[in-house]
Amino acid sequence: MIEVKHLTKTYGKKNNIFTALDDVTFTIPDGASVAIIGKSGSGKSTLMHAMSGLDRPQQGEVIVDGEDILKLKKKAVDHFRATQMSFIFQSFFVQANESCFDNVGLPLEIASVASKERRQRIIEALEAVELGDKIKSKAKNLSGGQKQRLAIARAIVNKPKILFADEPTGNLDSTTGDTIEDLLFSYTKKNKTTLIIVTHDPDLASKCDIEIRIKDGKIEAINEHKKAPTKHATLGRIQ
Amino acid sequence: MKMRDIVRRAGRSLKQAKARTLLTSLAIAVGAFALTLTIAAGQGARQYADKLIGSNVNPQALFIVKDETIFSPTATNAGLREYNADDTVLSDGSAIKQLTQKDIDALSKRKDLENIEPAYNLTMNYLTVEGSDKKYTSSLGAYGATILSDTAAGTLPALGTQIKDDEVVMPEDFASTLGKKPSELIGKKLTLTVAKAAAPPTEDEIAQIVATEGTAGLAKLAKGETKEVVLTIKAIKKKSATALTASTSLEVSNNQARQIAEYTTQGTNEYQKYFAVSALAKDSKPDDVKAALKNDGYTAQTAKDLQGVIFAVVNTIQGIVVGFAIVALIASVFGIINTQYISVLERTQQIGLMKALGMRGRDVARLFRYEAAWIGFLGGIIGAGGATILGTSLNPWITKTFSLGDGNTILIFEPLPIVALIISLMIIAVIAGYLPARKAAKLDPIEALRTE
Ligand SMILES: Nc1ncnc2c1ncn2[C@@H]1O[C@H](COP(=O)(O)OP(=O)(O)OP(=O)(O)O)[C@@H](O)[C@H]1O
Ligand SMILES: [Mg+2]
Repeated sequence: MIEVKHLTKTYGKKNNIFTALDDVTFTIPDGASVAIIGKSGSGKSTLMHAMSGLDRPQQGEVIVDGEDILKLKKKAVDHFRATQMSFIFQSFFVQANESCFDNVGLPLEIASVASKERRQRIIEALEAVELGDKIKSKAKNLSGGQKQRLAIARAIVNKPKILFADEPTGNLDSTTGDTIEDLLFSYTKKNKTTLIIVTHDPDLASKCDIEIRIKDGKIEAINEHKKAPTKHATLGRIQ
Repeated sequence: MKMRDIVRRAGRSLKQAKARTLLTSLAIAVGAFALTLTIAAGQGARQYADKLIGSNVNPQALFIVKDETIFSPTATNAGLREYNADDTVLSDGSAIKQLTQKDIDALSKRKDLENIEPAYNLTMNYLTVEGSDKKYTSSLGAYGATILSDTAAGTLPALGTQIKDDEVVMPEDFASTLGKKPSELIGKKLTLTVAKAAAPPTEDEIAQIVATEGTAGLAKLAKGETKEVVLTIKAIKKKSATALTASTSLEVSNNQARQIAEYTTQGTNEYQKYFAVSALAKDSKPDDVKAALKNDGYTAQTAKDLQGVIFAVVNTIQGIVVGFAIVALIASVFGIINTQYISVLERTQQIGLMKALGMRGRDVARLFRYEAAWIGFLGGIIGAGGATILGTSLNPWITKTFSLGDGNTILIFEPLPIVALIISLMIIAVIAGYLPARKAAKLDPIEALRTE
């Protein structure tokens, strides 16, 4: 469970102060898929950074499984991210000159996983995103959709409890985007991973269990889609 | 993050920027090249000097003087000093304490010394060699029995044995000046003409000689007395690449040398005065004897001291080259700093990603430091390897050109100093990479990931 309490983040000083997050409070149950939706500049990314411990807001708490990660030491937060969290970004951030294998291996290296075990898990992750045949290919030779699938493989290889995705389909055409969305949803549901998607796409948001609408750093609305999530894509459909 | 993984990642990053890595490490390679050659040359020079001393100086040898200023070029005895008849006064007015016969006797009595041989100040008027009337001059010295030299012709007595008093040894060079083959000269007579110092005659002597021999006698008295010493050529010393001494002097036995010295200085202040004495330490360490002599008012130099003097010269020359190499290394340090800064800028996103994935700032810094270490390693390998290959292939040519003698190599490449050098270069590179690495470590992942 993730509890966000009275989160406030400001930028700038006295005269020029800007409140990017204003007293944000909500709760996310384990294994839920959550969309943070809002206009550009509304504070979505800022919220995601605060929830993942990358950023330190001035006020508030982010309690993950009973522990306020904002009160942890830097080292502990880093360890927390290395073992429990993962990220997917709009512009992929895959290492163009490295092989798919090395790209996916990075989180395991950071988490100091033994190299024997690493190999097995990297191959599993690549196969889960249907890149099993690209293990040795350089990331720069992949298509946009393949790059994002590689990023997903990198995000799931350390079996995270929470997966953050900041506009994961923003740079992709709608068909490829759908594939990526299906992949994310099917993986997180299967593995009971909490998925937090930052987006301004209402269609994507409506596919999530919870929709957090944010405007000018404030929570505008929290919608829970009680209906069972729409049919999940099977891996076979991925192009 | 495991060290091995960081090292591997560092290596991969460098491989992705091959040209830049190579160029940066080439700057270090220049320094490494110069340093490797210098170390090799220093090593070679020291071994060569050791050999040189070993074949010229008995390790037990001591060179004893009474005046310590002889060994310290900075100290002088100039200024106003009390007159001492035993001192010899130099042209600049300073005086040198000399050893007298009393000193020689005292030294001879010591149990820790043997083979005491005063440094005779030998002069001749001229010499002639059997079969020709042509007169020559040369420097004259006493035969050193403590070192055995190679001969071009004739034979020398066993080590430690003096030549006979009517024998003489000459260097190979003299034979060619005389226009003879070395072997032709063996057994030939060599006549030395030495002059007695012309001590001012007393009035009585003048009166007496005028009375008995007239004015002719007076002329003879003024001209001074001479004597001929007839010697047999015993051996011709071979020219040796490693022989320092005795290659330019005619050598007579120790006894003969004393007789000539005493004859030529009789009646003068210099009679039985010696500025130095050479001796061998007997049944004890030269350094101990040196210390004992110091207590008795003598100053001595051992073979090791002589080695020290030569090594000091080698070290100085080495120091100069090392200085240049260090300038090259300092330049390469800035190269590394620059390259690594650019690398950090280029990889801002990668650093941001790694930090977002939970990589510790410390590990990010290590990644960049190891990259710098790789650059240092590469530069060291290129430079040291290049120097070793070049030096090894040049060695025979150097030996030949500078006639160092067979088997003497002036560039000696030993693995240990080279390994030490490469490790130091890696450390220098890491130090150079410190600031860029710190910048990488301090990068804010949020901002790093915002850069598109
Ligand atoms: N370092 C900063 N200094 C000052 N203002 C900042 C900083 N970072 C973000 N902001 C401001 O905070 C607000 C929220 O930014 P944020 O990146 O969270 O927006 P967003 O909702 O993710 O927008 P987008 O959909 O365009 O990504 C913006 O107005 C932005 O200008
Ligand atoms: Mg954003």
